[in-house]
Amino acid sequence: MTLARLRPGENGRITKMGAIGPLKRRLMDMGVLIGERIKVEKIAPLGDPIEVTIKNYNLSLRKKEAEGIEVEVVK
Amino acid sequence: MSAQTAEDITQSAEHGLNSREKIITIAVAGNPNSGKSTLINALTGSRLHVGNWPGVTVEKKLAIFEYEGTKIRLVDLPGTYSLSPYTQEEIIAGDYLVHEKPDLVINVVDATNLERNLYLTVQLLELGIPVIVAMNIYDEALTRGYEINIKTMEELLGVRVIPTVATKKTGLDDLLKAITGAADSAFLHRPKRLNYGNDIETAASVVESHVRNSNPQLVENYPLRWLSFKLMEGDHHAMEGINLGDIPFVGEATKHLIKAHGEDIESIMADERYALAAGIAHEVLKKPEFRKMEVTEKIDRIVLNRFLGIPIFLAAMWLMFKLTFDFSAPFADWIDAMTTGPFKRWAEAFLGFFHAPAWTTSLVTDGIIAGVGFVIVFVPVIFAMMLFITFLEGSGYMARAAFVMDRAMHAIGLHGKSFIPMLLGFGCNVPAVYATRTLENPRDKALTVLLIPLMSCGARLPVYVVFIGAFFPSHAGTVLWSLYVMGIGLAIVMGLIFKRTLFKGESPMFIMELPPYRMPSFKSLMIHTWEKGKHFLIKAGTYILAVSILVWFLLNLPWGVEQRKDSYLGQMGQVIAPALEPLGFGTWEAAASLVSGLIAKEIVVGTMGEIYVQKADEADKKEIPTLKDDLKEIGTSFAAAAQHAAENVISTFGIASMSSEESVEETEARSSLRGVIKGQFTPLSAYVFITFVLLYMPCVVVAIAMRQEFGTWKWFGIAFGYQMALAWGVAFLIFQGGKLLGIGG
Repeated sequence: MTLARLRPGENGRITKMGAIGPLKRRLMDMGVLIGERIKVEKIAPLGDPIEVTIKNYNLSLRKKEAEGIEVEVVK
Repeated sequence: MSAQTAEDITQSAEHGLNSREKIITIAVAGNPNSGKSTLINALTGSRLHVGNWPGVTVEKKLAIFEYEGTKIRLVDLPGTYSLSPYTQEEIIAGDYLVHEKPDLVINVVDATNLERNLYLTVQLLELGIPVIVAMNIYDEALTRGYEINIKTMEELLGVRVIPTVATKKTGLDDLLKAITGAADSAFLHRPKRLNYGNDIETAASVVESHVRNSNPQLVENYPLRWLSFKLMEGDHHAMEGINLGDIPFVGEATKHLIKAHGEDIESIMADERYALAAGIAHEVLKKPEFRKMEVTEKIDRIVLNRFLGIPIFLAAMWLMFKLTFDFSAPFADWIDAMTTGPFKRWAEAFLGFFHAPAWTTSLVTDGIIAGVGFVIVFVPVIFAMMLFITFLEGSGYMARAAFVMDRAMHAIGLHGKSFIPMLLGFGCNVPAVYATRTLENPRDKALTVLLIPLMSCGARLPVYVVFIGAFFPSHAGTVLWSLYVMGIGLAIVMGLIFKRTLFKGESPMFIMELPPYRMPSFKSLMIHTWEKGKHFLIKAGTYILAVSILVWFLLNLPWGVEQRKDSYLGQMGQVIAPALEPLGFGTWEAAASLVSGLIAKEIVVGTMGEIYVQKADEADKKEIPTLKDDLKEIGTSFAAAAQHAAENVISTFGIASMSSEESVEETEARSSLRGVIKGQFTPLSAYVFITFVLLYMPCVVVAIAMRQEFGTWKWFGIAFGYQMALAWGVAFLIFQGGKLLGIGG
């Protein structure tokens, strides 16, 4: 399952980073790493982008970017 | 060139100092939103100089000051999350640290977000330069119940850690003492070499010994640790910077590492750096078990709400737009009245006293004073706009605005943050171009700037008003509305075209922090607003003045020209006119009016008045006011302008009503112009003409703003070219289509 499909309020743990190149490095620089816990907070009023919490701060990214991040749902 | 400004500033600032004394250079690095700007403002105040980094539009801030006998040269690096070579900011920061070798780095760290901030710290330590950590926003961390063990942190990192609260100026003295202390004993501040784990360390030591043997002079110039890490990561930018190609043994050394981790080397390094950051954060930080809902969360529940998000955003934008232009308009009018009134009269009197020839007087009053006035007229709106933009950014709302609008803007290849500059464009394109500073990515910025001129600015309105009044009085609203909608519609079309041509390829990413809401300090607001206004006045002002003098010459040359038709401008009109024939207004008068719109679109109506309507100069002779009258007028009219501005601001909130005051004279001039153009245009060609005015080119001030923001004329050239083609094409279609349909012939 990808991060883009998590619903607001749901938590996930990152299992795989499908993104490549600068996008991947940028995500990693922002703390989006394998094993990290991530929570979807909100979806923007127009349906994209999404807001997540990771490493205790809020990050926004487009759904297309979130599709490259595999997660497993955690309670 | 804007690129050299920063260096000029440095040199001139250094020049004033005693060159025998040593100056220590400190670079300030930190994450965006870590309060770095506020800290620098608090440390340096008015000694801060703002320029650009060479070749790019990223701001470079510099200051030279003295603390307890030590001269300090402070360089602010762009805010970055990392030192990877992927964004402009990261490249600038990384290159500066490696190649300019500052004596000391101050790393501003947000105490409320330790782990992510320490990721940059870990990378800074790799450079081997002495580091001092400013643990900023310390008060907020304490309020949240965080306990940070400063002593342990100093031991783990091997560098000084100073708690600071930049907004309250707490800890600044300690920080400055640490800086001057480090200057005397730099060796005590060499950071610790952190342990990256067996696999990485083994590979790194292999690479290190190879580099030491094969490139001894490189090792003298660059930190070995950094060299080996960059080689392992295959950082092409860094390698090019030090003239080093691929080294074969590196692949051999990292092979085992990649195999063991099953990842690419960049990911392994990033992972390890974060592991170190997390480890340190875990050691030194104690958080309360129970977390309260923070203010930011509460505000975002409303501001980013599915249903309320967009209405709130639009309301905020409307308010900002209205306040910006309502507040600045009376002051702009006042400046305009002053330069065309008293100042002009004084210059005339002064030059008359010395029996200066008439052309000199005209050059000084109509060329220079009018030109200067023209520059200053923009100052209120630029100051007002910068104040709002700085507030939006500093408070954290800008990121939310981008979040809310990104979907819509992304559809035409733009970024969520593009919306605000585009909106400002409806007031005036000039501050709109400056407002694109908030866009970090050069591609997003260029595309936004290209589309801004299609937003119909306030200066084009008088032209519409004259034509609509003459030809479509009963459908005024609809016609006006159609022009604005046409501009927006064409912006969408052009956005889609540019996205597929000029800016082909992957659109930039939207990985953006939503920082906690914070109140920007008054001082920061003032410094930013002032810097921007000053920048405009000095840099743009010079160009604009030159252009307005050029226009004066166009209007008044060759010598002794009697008729406007024979002036260079008139001659240009005659040359251009045939090209406008297929659009229905192929007269030299129309062409010359459009040429005069080059300096500013509000001039079009004035030029038309001059060209079309025979000037009744005799009727103009009024009593010449005395100096005392003039001075009195300046004072009272300024007071009136201030009052008017205040009223406008209040009326925005529906308390008072706005008084409309168009001077009788102006209305009369317009109505006579209206009569004349009725004979020169048909309703169809009139509509085509105002369409052309809407689309044909950004004014010279916008051109200069574009030049200033990009450091090259390239983007203005593209804007000029496509807009001319667009204006001609659309006008042609409307006119010929209209003729075919038999409308207004």
